[in-house]
Amino acid sequence: MIHAVLADDEVLARQKLRQLLRSETEIEIVGESATATETIDLVRATKPELLFLDIQMPGMDGFDILTEISSGETMPPPCVIFTTAYDQYALRAFEIHAIDYLLKPFTRERLASSVERARKQILLNQQPAQNGSAGVARSPYANRLVFKSRGRIIFLPVSDIRRISAEENYVRICTQSETHLLRETMAHLEERLDPEMFLRVHRSSIVNLQHVKEVRTESDGEYAVVLINGDKLSMSRSYRSRINEWITHS
Amino acid sequence: MRLFSYHVNLGTLISGWGVQYLLWGILCWLFWWWLGPRFQQATLFYTITRGLPLSIVASVVEEMIWVACFPNMPWNPKHATYWHRFAFHANAELISNMVIFWGAFGLFRGVTYYQKYRDRESAAEKLKTELVNSQMRALRMQLNPHFLFNTMNSISSLMHTDIAAADDMLEQLSSLLRITLKRGEVQLIPLSEEMEFIEMYLAMQDRRFTGRVTQEICVEPDLHDALVPAMLLQPIIENAYTHGLSKLNKDGRLVVKASRHHKRLKITVTNSGTGLKHAPTRDNPRQGVGIANVQDRLRLHYGSDQSISLVQLQTGDVEARITLPLQISNQPTVNLAGDSAP
Repeated sequence: MIHAVLADDEVLARQKLRQLLRSETEIEIVGESATATETIDLVRATKPELLFLDIQMPGMDGFDILTEISSGETMPPPCVIFTTAYDQYALRAFEIHAIDYLLKPFTRERLASSVERARKQILLNQQPAQNGSAGVARSPYANRLVFKSRGRIIFLPVSDIRRISAEENYVRICTQSETHLLRETMAHLEERLDPEMFLRVHRSSIVNLQHVKEVRTESDGEYAVVLINGDKLSMSRSYRSRINEWITHS
Repeated sequence: MRLFSYHVNLGTLISGWGVQYLLWGILCWLFWWWLGPRFQQATLFYTITRGLPLSIVASVVEEMIWVACFPNMPWNPKHATYWHRFAFHANAELISNMVIFWGAFGLFRGVTYYQKYRDRESAAEKLKTELVNSQMRALRMQLNPHFLFNTMNSISSLMHTDIAAADDMLEQLSSLLRITLKRGEVQLIPLSEEMEFIEMYLAMQDRRFTGRVTQEICVEPDLHDALVPAMLLQPIIENAYTHGLSKLNKDGRLVVKASRHHKRLKITVTNSGTGLKHAPTRDNPRQGVGIANVQDRLRLHYGSDQSISLVQLQTGDVEARITLPLQISNQPTVNLAGDSAP
């Protein structure tokens, strides 16, 4: 069971969250607050694992509330999902490792995917800190990407990416259900992504190795990478040695 | 010019002239600095009452200095006192000095008139651009409420039948409004942004026409940064639905395509609707504000260097075609890039 606190100064906003969370059976709402001090007191008293936090609250803003919460106590601070009508704090929220950034109004599906991510993160936090997890935390590679797409703020875990393709000055990031067009370079993305997980197979494509089904030699002697969903990507000669290396390793 | 009754060497003569024009140069500069603004607006009365005495004073002063500088001309000081020489030179040079003074005065006024003319010209030009801008702004702003109210009506209708769908559509509308508001009154935007808006709009239409229409967007990769007027395609796509796709019960198809043709951008919106017979024309009062608005804005932005037409293809599909001069944006938008370790 995940204990959650809802912090929002608007009654109707809290009501909506409460209604939508009713279908999330794992979530138990342990309290609601409407001001900054109420929120801080409530979190200290109930020690929830998850906090739904509005950014604009009477008293202080959401970020100040979090600083206050984590300064006082020795307990681990809760995972945070921001719910707000403003998109300008997204980068800051991302930097303090918020689980997600929901722009109001949000849909049931959008909330459900945030809750799912929170659940995974909370599980991870509950595991006794082993030497392995400490190593991951110091990884120099990006764990998530943040960007705006179609009027939403996306905190995309890199593991959700299936492939990335270049379109001149842009890249297209494909996940299971969506594609996002970003103004970004392949080289820049490639150096931020973990090479254990992602492989550049062509000047214009990067694949997530977890989604690669096979590497095929075509009748004309060229190589092609086939993804689990059936997508086929051609592979250039200069990148072939890399995938051979990967095949022999795995 | 100077009348000499005896031989002077050429060097002295040239330095004499040089000093004369140098002195006038300094005097004119002083006048410009001291009286410039008053000269610029001088009336005839001012010119006569102040300019005339000033010209005489200036001529006399210049001559006095000059005579002091060249004591050997035209006679040696042994033969004539300073005042003798001054009287001679003043008499000989008064007319040419006056010509120099009034020449410079005329030049000041000429420059002023030219500047005023240029200012007026650029002000007129600015006014014209502002007028065009405000027309474009008005046309652009006309689209927002139009589109907003249509969507609100759909949501209002959905609320009676499918609350979850109404909820989703409200979220989609909010996302659309968010990017529209952020864009503000910018007229030309990169095609990638227009297409992002269109994708969101199409997702909303898809909800209204639950699976009856397949949608496809196809943009050549080097055209993502091509500039287009904001909200160019939404009215056209809305039309494709209203006059074509909405009349089908299944298997509708909508294709939006952007391609490069020589140095022009070509955008087509193709729908497998019911052919052109139901299509609106400009004279048809039933036609929405949308297409007329697009036509007007294209004309304001590109003059006659653009085209928009509606044709029926061999297959029976109806295609709206727009061509524009290809301009590539050099101020790319940033999508808030960032990343983090866990």
